[in-house]
Amino acid sequence: MSEATSVETMRRIIRQALASMEEHADELGRLDAAAGDGDHGITMVRGMKAAVAVLDANAPDAGALLSRGALAFSDAAGGASGALYGMLFATAGRQLGAGPYATADVAAAMRAGCDVVMRLGKAQPGDKTLLDALEPFLVALDAAADRPLPVAWRTALPAAQAGTAATAGMVASCGRSATLGERSLGHRDPGAVSLTYLLEAVDKVIGEAESDR
Amino acid sequence: MTKLWNDPADFRAELIDGFVAAYGRYVRRIPDASGVMAVDGPRSGKVAVIIGGGSGHYPAFCGYVGPGLADAAVMGNVFAAPSSEQVYRCTQAVIGNAGALYCYGNYSGDVLNFDMAAMRCQMEGQDVRTVRVTDDVASAPPDQQEKRRGISGDFFVFKIAGASAARGDTLDEVERLTRHANARTRSFGVAFGGCTLPGQTEPLFTVEPGRMELGLGVHGEPGVSSSEMRTAAEIADLLLDTLLAERPDGGEARAALLLNGLGNTKYEELFVLYKDIDRRLAQEGVRIHRPVVDEQVTSLNMAGCSLSLLWLDDELEALLDAPCASAGYVQSAL
Repeated sequence: MSEATSVETMRRIIRQALASMEEHADELGRLDAAAGDGDHGITMVRGMKAAVAVLDANAPDAGALLSRGALAFSDAAGGASGALYGMLFATAGRQLGAGPYATADVAAAMRAGCDVVMRLGKAQPGDKTLLDALEPFLVALDAAADRPLPVAWRTALPAAQAGTAATAGMVASCGRSATLGERSLGHRDPGAVSLTYLLEAVDKVIGEAESDR
Repeated sequence: MTKLWNDPADFRAELIDGFVAAYGRYVRRIPDASGVMAVDGPRSGKVAVIIGGGSGHYPAFCGYVGPGLADAAVMGNVFAAPSSEQVYRCTQAVIGNAGALYCYGNYSGDVLNFDMAAMRCQMEGQDVRTVRVTDDVASAPPDQQEKRRGISGDFFVFKIAGASAARGDTLDEVERLTRHANARTRSFGVAFGGCTLPGQTEPLFTVEPGRMELGLGVHGEPGVSSSEMRTAAEIADLLLDTLLAERPDGGEARAALLLNGLGNTKYEELFVLYKDIDRRLAQEGVRIHRPVVDEQVTSLNMAGCSLSLLWLDDELEALLDAPCASAGYVQSAL
């Protein structure tokens, strides 16, 4: 993939991510209101709009564009989501840099971001957070590391979706919903749901680019 | 519901503009940042007390900026912690040579963003400390006070931090006293109805008629449990039974008290409730010092109230009595 192509692909991914958050904002808000303050959809849209707003600036490479978007997201979104998503994608973007963007490189960059999220958020898989979608996704992506990125990504998506579905059966032990303990049972974690939508947005863009060939 | 807004996306920016326009005698806008600072600051040699959190809790947090209270408040969107970038910028606007204390309610979003800003300041050689308010007894058991969230006890902890810094205490001493105040502050609340975010049509949660939620959160979170609605006198006992269970051992029993309305429960109702709180505390042998019955840490238009007690000793009482002036709370020297 040429540098110009990869930067343009990243632009399309970030725009697609905003569209996805706008489409699902109400659902994310309802999920959040079950045990939190109901603003997750609003927050994600606000953050993604800020990320899209910095896309026009000249970016040297796709990784730098992702990092820049992540920092804009973080500042505009605020809250735990802003901090954690911001660090996840800023770290991944820094590691991705100018590529290459083979499956193993992208998986390693996402893993680096995931490690930062775990350290900052002091959460582990099973705590009913976005990690319950991200961790199984990364395991599946690693397992498909020898396949082209669009194929590997699509292959790994069901793991994120299943991980998200499983959060309905978990009791929160981190974040604001932890206070409500058992009351969080029966509802999927809004962070796991939004992360899965973001992963699906990436799939939509890189999958289409693949089928255009 | 929240009725007055233009574009909900501009709600925070517009409320800051209006607040600064109205209360320019206490605060000014921090340039290029989502926050306000005291008009008389920064003062050389004084520890900067920086508070903050999401909007929707007025007078917390921007209403507590002024002499004898906080030097700056970082303001997030409604019920969302401010970003670390905004915390950092506000810190740079007010930090002097005596360092800064961050003081805020213990929520994961606030912890993440304030901690990231503190790390950045520390890497640049600035001394920044943190005390998180953890007064809400409903949110974790007594042996896990560090996990509890901050609700209306913010009021007392900020007051102690502000008074200590205002009289020229070192950062070590401001931190110690603020931690001490937090360790002796307990709150518990009940909710009768949820609140609605600007631009939304449905409240974040609803309370069935004839019922109430116990252990409310100040972000429109539902309570940790639900119960039948009771009379004011019964609610007074319920609040106090919970708080008195954590009464510290030994010494004379004196406590500062805040009976806090959440936004949609009005003063007259609070006074009806306070009558029985006052009577019960007298029976328990607790001397109430400087009671405040007011809206201090609100949750937009949420219905309900919370009761906060700060168990006093001599050093805390002296700081509590110190004068202060801000848009949200004035304590005269008289």
